Amino acid sequence: MNKLRLIIAREYMSIVGRKSFIFMTLGMPLLFILIMAVPIGLAYLNDKGSDTQQIAVIDETGRYAAALHSDDMYNFVAIKGDTVTNAREFYDKANGSLDAIIIIPRNVDSTGVVNIFSEGTITPALVSSVRNVLADTIQSAHLAAMGIPNLQEMVDKAHVDVDVRSIKWSEEGEQESSTDAAMGLGLMLSIITYMFVLMYGAMIMNSVIEEKTNRIVEVVVSSCRPFQLMLGKIIGVGLVGLTQMAIWIVLLAIVGTVAGSAFGIGNVSPDAISPEALAQAKDMGAMESIVRQTLSINYLPIVLNFIIYFIGGYLLYSSLFAGLGSAVDQPSDSSQFTTPVILIMLIAFYAGMACMENPSGPTAVWCSIIPFTSPVVMMIRLPFGVPTWQLLLSIALLFGTALFITWLAARIYRRGILHYGKKASFSDLFKWMK
Amino acid sequence: MAYLDINNVVKRYEEHTALDGVSMQVEQGVIYGLLGPNGAGKSTLIRIINRILAADKGTVTLNGKQMTDDDIAHIGYLPEERGLYKKMKVGDHIVYLGRLKGMTKADAVASMHWWLDRFDLKEWENKKVENLSKGMQQKVQFIGTVIHRPPLLIFDEPFSGFDPVNAEQLKVEILALRDQGSTILFSTHNMASVEEVCQQITLLNHAKVVLTGSVDEVKQQHKKNIIAVQTPDKIEANDALFKILPPDPVKKQDTRIKLAQGVNVRDAINWLNEHYRLTGFTEVLPSMNEIFIETVKSKNATEQ
Repeated sequence: MNKLRLIIAREYMSIVGRKSFIFMTLGMPLLFILIMAVPIGLAYLNDKGSDTQQIAVIDETGRYAAALHSDDMYNFVAIKGDTVTNAREFYDKANGSLDAIIIIPRNVDSTGVVNIFSEGTITPALVSSVRNVLADTIQSAHLAAMGIPNLQEMVDKAHVDVDVRSIKWSEEGEQESSTDAAMGLGLMLSIITYMFVLMYGAMIMNSVIEEKTNRIVEVVVSSCRPFQLMLGKIIGVGLVGLTQMAIWIVLLAIVGTVAGSAFGIGNVSPDAISPEALAQAKDMGAMESIVRQTLSINYLPIVLNFIIYFIGGYLLYSSLFAGLGSAVDQPSDSSQFTTPVILIMLIAFYAGMACMENPSGPTAVWCSIIPFTSPVVMMIRLPFGVPTWQLLLSIALLFGTALFITWLAARIYRRGILHYGKKASFSDLFKWMK
Repeated sequence: MAYLDINNVVKRYEEHTALDGVSMQVEQGVIYGLLGPNGAGKSTLIRIINRILAADKGTVTLNGKQMTDDDIAHIGYLPEERGLYKKMKVGDHIVYLGRLKGMTKADAVASMHWWLDRFDLKEWENKKVENLSKGMQQKVQFIGTVIHRPPLLIFDEPFSGFDPVNAEQLKVEILALRDQGSTILFSTHNMASVEEVCQQITLLNHAKVVLTGSVDEVKQQHKKNIIAVQTPDKIEANDALFKILPPDPVKKQDTRIKLAQGVNVRDAINWLNEHYRLTGFTEVLPSMNEIFIETVKSKNATEQ
């Protein structure tokens, strides 16, 4: 026991003490922020940087061109429809001062077709803005043409957004459980499990291979049992992972607090209610609903189960990685063994994604019981509620399998760490297991 | 009862037998050479003693008791395939190895300082292992092996990787440990070092013991009744007593004679002394190297 603690401590310190660990731990969140911020920033620069486009609007109806308002990006110039007979000639005569020509044909009311011509690229943003503006304007014109008083208001009133709230009858009474929040939570938990197992599984494997290439391993196993060394590594690296997660959570909390106070959400004064503000308010309503749902989820069992599955899944995969790592001399030889393991993990991940739509379907149920996929898939199902017998069966199977795999991996490890030279094959591994 | 008693140990792998009924008795306080060509089973035997591998059959007793996992605290093992954690500091590394063998932290730190001092490595204590030269790393490795003052030491090819100066220092340390009462099992190909330090040997070949005994006994058993005679005269052959052998390429001035069957050294020397002006003579004993090669070759020949 004392030796195990020594091995764990050494393994932990050897990783946490490295510069690369500090770099990784602080770098990863930065990388995430960059990944998210860069496209937004670039898009912004793209919009800012481009000149205002000159767009001629040839309105044959003479009624709709005014609806297109100029802004920073587009300058719409209305041109009487009968003055232009040939759009192409008109465009060429403009000698490059025009970027595009929009033609609103006389029969637009019946066909609903509008054409944009240009020699250059017509951006999707222009197309969608023209489409939205003209659709609204033409629709209003149609309604007005019907000659019924207040028709516009009636139509607006008739327009309904349906907000479907799902309410679950549970022991605690009625609870608004919502699929959005549950899905988000499930997805997050499964991604955390998946990433953690892959990242730290690879770390264990490298650590095992490193000890072999260093030739230190025989020195160490002359002082402790190979199983102790393997277990010490698994626990040590697991603790490194937890440390890293804890640092990230603290960072997230700090960033969240700072950002929250910096961009404090101000109150919207009633006068300033523009259509955009209304739409935003609607979004806020949706947000509020998600927040309400998020708060309504019963976290304690989810967190407890997450921890249980996390430990089981980590033990299962990390001992697989340790066992396989012991069979190779160099990291470059490891791919023949890791590929099947990574494949299984990927299947688990995809099964999790597939189960999001129907978390009680047969695929979801089976994949959350089979040990190799359960740590990921069960995370998706947890927030939706899982029958107790399935949960117990799944946990029992997961831990049973994890312990069995650890035992098998230890048998491979015992032989593998002393095996140098000839590359081991899968059939060698099976022989070593006996 | 021998200190380390290996009795009829068998170890089989899927494809071959690594040890086939090997027995060996190592007395306390001796340096015992475990010899044999590559693949003879030396490393497997050493790993069984270190409890890294388990024997299929047979027993290993230490100090009269069947060995258990706890006994590895009494062994210091320097494997042939050895190395260190490159990123660890020298001092921390040595303390880690000592504590793995069951030392307390304070004890391990004190012992580490003593040994670093002895090997002139004091100023390297807080340097990372990767910054040390290969020779210094070998010394750190040696300290890691002996830090817990084990009564049984097992060295597998200890001199490989050492330059002659460091090898000499290592030899002195090994002899000092023996004088302090440690028992040392010494596995090597380097026959010169066997003659210098070992009192007893066992020669393994093809998973079996082919030769065992004290170095002197073994040499006596394998002697060829050859005498190197120093004389200014030219000795003629005398078929009744001896044959003249071609001179030794290194000591050309000596005349080498091989005694005929049943002739003892005294008779031959008396006869020579009467007929020639002898200035000296020495009985030529075979080197361990010659015995090793001869034994391994003849065994291989009879097996084929």
